[in-house]
Amino acid sequence: MPPIWAGTGSNYMLKIRNLFAYYGAVTALSGVTCHVNQGEIVALIGANGAGKTTLLNAICGLVRREGEITFLGRSLIGLAPENLVALGIAMVPEGRQLFAPMTVRENLELGAYHRYRREPKAAIAEDMDLVYQLFPRLKERREQKAGTLSGGEQQMLAIGRSLMARPRLLLLDEPSLGLAPIVVEDILATLGRLRQEGVTILLVEQNAREALKAADRAYVMETGRLILSGAAQDLLQNRQVTRAYLGRDYKEFTEGR
Amino acid sequence: MRQPQVEAMPPAELELLQLERLQSTLTRAYRQVKFYRRQFDRLGLRPEDIRELSDLSRLPFTTREDLSENYPYGLFAVPLRDIVRIVSSPGTTEKPLVVGYTSQDLKLWLELLARLYTAAGVTRDDIVQLILPPGLANWRRDLQAGAEYLGASVIPAATLNFAKELMVLRDYKTSVLITTPPLARHLLTVMTRLDLTPADLSLKKALLVAAPLPAALRQEIEDGLQVKISSAYGITEVMGPGLAFGCEANAGFHFSADHFYPEIIDPDTGDPLPPGTPGELVITTLSTVAFPLLRFRSGDRTFLNPTPCPCGRTLVRLGEISGRVDDIFSVGGIKVHPEQIGRLLKDLLGGILPRYRWQVVVEEGLELLDLEINMEDQLFSDEIKTLEGLCRVVRRHLQDHLGINARITLKE
Repeated sequence: MPPIWAGTGSNYMLKIRNLFAYYGAVTALSGVTCHVNQGEIVALIGANGAGKTTLLNAICGLVRREGEITFLGRSLIGLAPENLVALGIAMVPEGRQLFAPMTVRENLELGAYHRYRREPKAAIAEDMDLVYQLFPRLKERREQKAGTLSGGEQQMLAIGRSLMARPRLLLLDEPSLGLAPIVVEDILATLGRLRQEGVTILLVEQNAREALKAADRAYVMETGRLILSGAAQDLLQNRQVTRAYLGRDYKEFTEGR
Repeated sequence: MRQPQVEAMPPAELELLQLERLQSTLTRAYRQVKFYRRQFDRLGLRPEDIRELSDLSRLPFTTREDLSENYPYGLFAVPLRDIVRIVSSPGTTEKPLVVGYTSQDLKLWLELLARLYTAAGVTRDDIVQLILPPGLANWRRDLQAGAEYLGASVIPAATLNFAKELMVLRDYKTSVLITTPPLARHLLTVMTRLDLTPADLSLKKALLVAAPLPAALRQEIEDGLQVKISSAYGITEVMGPGLAFGCEANAGFHFSADHFYPEIIDPDTGDPLPPGTPGELVITTLSTVAFPLLRFRSGDRTFLNPTPCPCGRTLVRLGEISGRVDDIFSVGGIKVHPEQIGRLLKDLLGGILPRYRWQVVVEEGLELLDLEINMEDQLFSDEIKTLEGLCRVVRRHLQDHLGINARITLKE
């Protein structure tokens, strides 16, 4: 009897192989190989400067890169960043980069810019409803200027705007940056709901503990190389990880004596 | 299947998974283990130069001598405070063999054991009895822990004579027996002596480990005990059992290639050999954190069989383990290097090394070392008692140090 898994083809949505990235003469990634499965939330954790954001930028073609990147079997090398949206990849950059003088609704509409010519308006309105369901706060403030939102609300809007492009893969860069812990939990909790909507997520975070709580699987990066990988739950327990990124060792040290 | 998403994963995905895990293992080994860093530096290589699995052949081998030279902690890749278990075994050099585990490593190891049991058809409803000699302490511990993790009812190895073991087997209604091939054969002879037949037992399966299982022996035990037999392959240096396991199709051992990378090499030239060609098995760990091993020479002779298995697993199979490429031999599943015998004799006899000859013999199904010692002048005594005492002492010395049974004869 053929196994149930035979012939199901590849589950790997994003495949990266021997990826190098450069800022001028500086090598920021030296041979990264990893993958993201369809429907997964994958976290990429590591210290500041390890190369996490560079990996997202390299996927999007925003830095000089060498190596192989394929998304659903299609190579991304040679594609311009603006073409990724049509393939189903959206990035939520660090710092959110919203249009401050525009309203929440206008910002969301901009996220769907490439769809207006091809799709009925109703489909876009439906997606906007979905974003409002995920983030009721945005609905409340839909006519408010983005620049007047709190940090957490701005992050919600940034994610919401990228969802308007109907991505299959969402690249999230440091969504917790500058946010209060309770807001961070709130935002990362919505990732699970996004997954239910069929979105796969690659999440870069310095806040390792929260990222590992939200993710299924994670990679740990150190100076341009991946050094560990595994189930997020396991890495939360890993002492190398707790020592380096979760700051638990100091507590152990002081409370242990 | 315990983990069908991995055990039967598409080969192209497995290959990428192996590569990403290999690259991070190389990075950790290079950054954290001096021995490996020196190996890389000597060749002018960096971890990022290994871009394909086949590039692994650019790295040198790691041998049992390397492990011995870095005794005890030289090859550990994490600080000791991250280590939760330190396993030693006699090894085949002068120093014991040391392997460390982090708690993540232990979790992986239990999963691999559960994989092995599931492939053997063992479930949580089984009553599992271990009959393994003290010399196989690591196999004992591993297989016991794995069966408990699976949720089966486990009867750990005990120091009972074989008649009592059989009484337990019958009365406790054991459904799965775990032992070595030679001991299984010995049990058959004891059963005959006690007038026990398979119909008196509730036994359904036997898992035979720690020694090769030639087809004829397998058939003999299968017929004698009327059970379904499975087998597994493992070495202590690389997490022990669970490294490779037999399946329902009974055709070789599926290698847990998602966590360990196998190569077959020509033992003389070190060149990689193509699938199907017998040679020495070389193993690289892909996931273990505490004790990464790069291209470790197992010394076992086998071949890789990449053809699809009827059981549906896509993990590559090891063929029959057809012997050793070095002088190491096995007595009842315990590995012994011939030099160890001379060294132990010399230690015991105050620096005198008499001429000796040895062979492994089978008595009532039990393997023992038959050692014939030449009576040199310095050792000779008129008193029979003294000579008998000498035999006894040598026997106990071998038992203590190697965990093997021996029969000693003196020759003029």
